[in-house]
Amino acid sequence: MRIPIVTGLALVLTLPAVAGEIHGTVACKGVRDSAGAVVYVDAIPGKTFPAPQEHQKINQQNLVFDPHVLPVLAGTTVDFLNSDAVQHNVFSPDACAEKFNLGTWPKGQTRSYTFKKDCVATLLCKVHPEMEAFVVAVPTPYFAVTKADGSYKIADVPDGAYTLKVWHPKLKAATKPVTVAGSTDVGFEIAR
Amino acid sequence: MSHARPIARCLTLAMVSFAVVLGAHRPASAIPAFARKYQTSCQTCHVVFPKLNPFGEAFRLNGYRMPAETEEEIKETPVSLGSEAYKKTWPSMVYPSTIPGHVPLAINIKMADVYASQTDGTNRTITRNDFQFPQEVNLFAAGTFGDTFGYLAELTFENGAGVSIERAQLTANSLFGAGHAVNFKVGMFAPDLEDGFHEMWLMTNNGIDSLFTYNPIGPNGGTGTAEEGGGISLPENVKAIEFYGVAKHRLFYTLGVTDGLGQVSTDPGSNPQSTGNDVHSAKDWYARVDYKFGGMGLDGDTTGKTLPPENWRESSVRVGLLGYYGTGNDVVFHEFDDLGNPTFDVIDRRYVRAGLYASWLWRDLNVFGVYLHGKDDLTTTDLTTAAVTQPNPTYDAWFVQADYVIRPPFQVSLRYEDVAPGDPSAASIRVGNANFTYLIVANMKLMLEYQRDLHESKNYNAAAVLRFAF
Ligand SMILES: [Cu+2]
Repeated sequence: MRIPIVTGLALVLTLPAVAGEIHGTVACKGVRDSAGAVVYVDAIPGKTFPAPQEHQKINQQNLVFDPHVLPVLAGTTVDFLNSDAVQHNVFSPDACAEKFNLGTWPKGQTRSYTFKKDCVATLLCKVHPEMEAFVVAVPTPYFAVTKADGSYKIADVPDGAYTLKVWHPKLKAATKPVTVAGSTDVGFEIAR
Repeated sequence: MSHARPIARCLTLAMVSFAVVLGAHRPASAIPAFARKYQTSCQTCHVVFPKLNPFGEAFRLNGYRMPAETEEEIKETPVSLGSEAYKKTWPSMVYPSTIPGHVPLAINIKMADVYASQTDGTNRTITRNDFQFPQEVNLFAAGTFGDTFGYLAELTFENGAGVSIERAQLTANSLFGAGHAVNFKVGMFAPDLEDGFHEMWLMTNNGIDSLFTYNPIGPNGGTGTAEEGGGISLPENVKAIEFYGVAKHRLFYTLGVTDGLGQVSTDPGSNPQSTGNDVHSAKDWYARVDYKFGGMGLDGDTTGKTLPPENWRESSVRVGLLGYYGTGNDVVFHEFDDLGNPTFDVIDRRYVRAGLYASWLWRDLNVFGVYLHGKDDLTTTDLTTAAVTQPNPTYDAWFVQADYVIRPPFQVSLRYEDVAPGDPSAASIRVGNANFTYLIVANMKLMLEYQRDLHESKNYNAAAVLRFAF
């Protein structure tokens, strides 16, 4: 599967044992399919999450960033691997990612950037202007990316009341209050 | 001949020279067929189309393939004309090939509003302002067959000149030896003799015309330029067989044999044309050797190099030597006086061109130029006295151009062109060209350009050019 559903498993172990999940469908209107929307639990008052040790990876292969959308917990380091015979670049025009520019590097090599705070960081390659990806750094480890049919699942969410948000590269973001009690279904419909 | 005639003739020629510079066609390739095939942006290969960046140059020299191309890089699935395994069965079966999944066509359209001023030597200035909508439309087909072959064809519709075949070529890549070392090309194309400076790779609308359109024919040598019906300075387009390649990533060579001087028109009074079928059996030869210091390899190699992410930038110097040799023993050019009566017959028995090319890239600046020295062994027959002379005039033609990227959408270009003609009595040609380019979107640009005859301030043209490619 190309779009991993990432959960903060390690963190969950320290939380109350009652673990629910949030799942449902994000109907994306006016775009080809419903893939690539990020659904995440917004900041929980009084709760912070330490930066994860484990790095996430974005591959540059065949002149495409893979995955196209990668949600991470703020503080995560993302490794950018060049798998092509041509040099690639990664930079972000966004201030929340310090407008970083990692330069260029050849096949087989990796350069990294740590997304320190909440941020929707657009990633671009100066060598290939058509290349584009998004790292969505969010305040909690409870997030997922939708599949083409719009379905998503955020596992191991402790029962409680949260604000659930959805972000999409092209569509308007949306917010819903949710109360998680075991398996909880939350649907969204987003449009331009 | 009256005393006043030669002066008048000179002035007329000077005017004609400049007019020809204005009117010359400028085929220029931006081939979105490749953008579709790889689903990549124009900026992957072009600084501003049609000018290639170092990667685009490598892509072209690789026979329109990515360096170390993988199947997955080709996003448009090709149609198989035989599975890979058929290679093993040859010659029992036909060797497999592929063709593009979609017809690989691309179109370039150029519109220009040209304001031109010319003086005729009697202080009469003629101005015109043309909406050349379109000035030129080019239809390209380009792509690859299997792993080895590539093709490129270009049909051009030119304002006032109808439709012509600009290019039709078949390339075979890495025929034997190391990759990129031996490639060959057959057809009609811009010879790699002009790699890096033919108008195809230039940013401006006015090509480097004087270098290509200088006409070496005249009773005492060439006096100016002529687009057709003249001898050869450097050929813009050739019908040729060419070998070329890149060795050790940085050494470029080319060796070609061309048709040489062209067809004799059916009109008995007129001169041989540079296009059409050959009138004689002799072939012309050309060769070139280049070396590139710094930057990306000419084959796209970047081993051990960290290039800046701004892919138009690199610090590099490329230098090359070029030569062209040909004979025209049985091709007779007719010279006429102002009334259209034949005055001289001229034969260019042997012509030799030797040139030096240099291109320097430093950050956002690219300065490049060519110096060309030519020698023509002529036989001229004065038709009134039947006197035969054999002058060996030499000429020098050179240009230098600076292109600067202000920001990727905004670029400027300046060029100076100079020709010292073979006939010592003829005035030199000096032309200045200034260009501002605004890349509105990746495949559409607006250029403002000014070109002037540096001898005569009333000979100039200013143009606003809109070009787009899809
Ligand atoms: Cu890239």
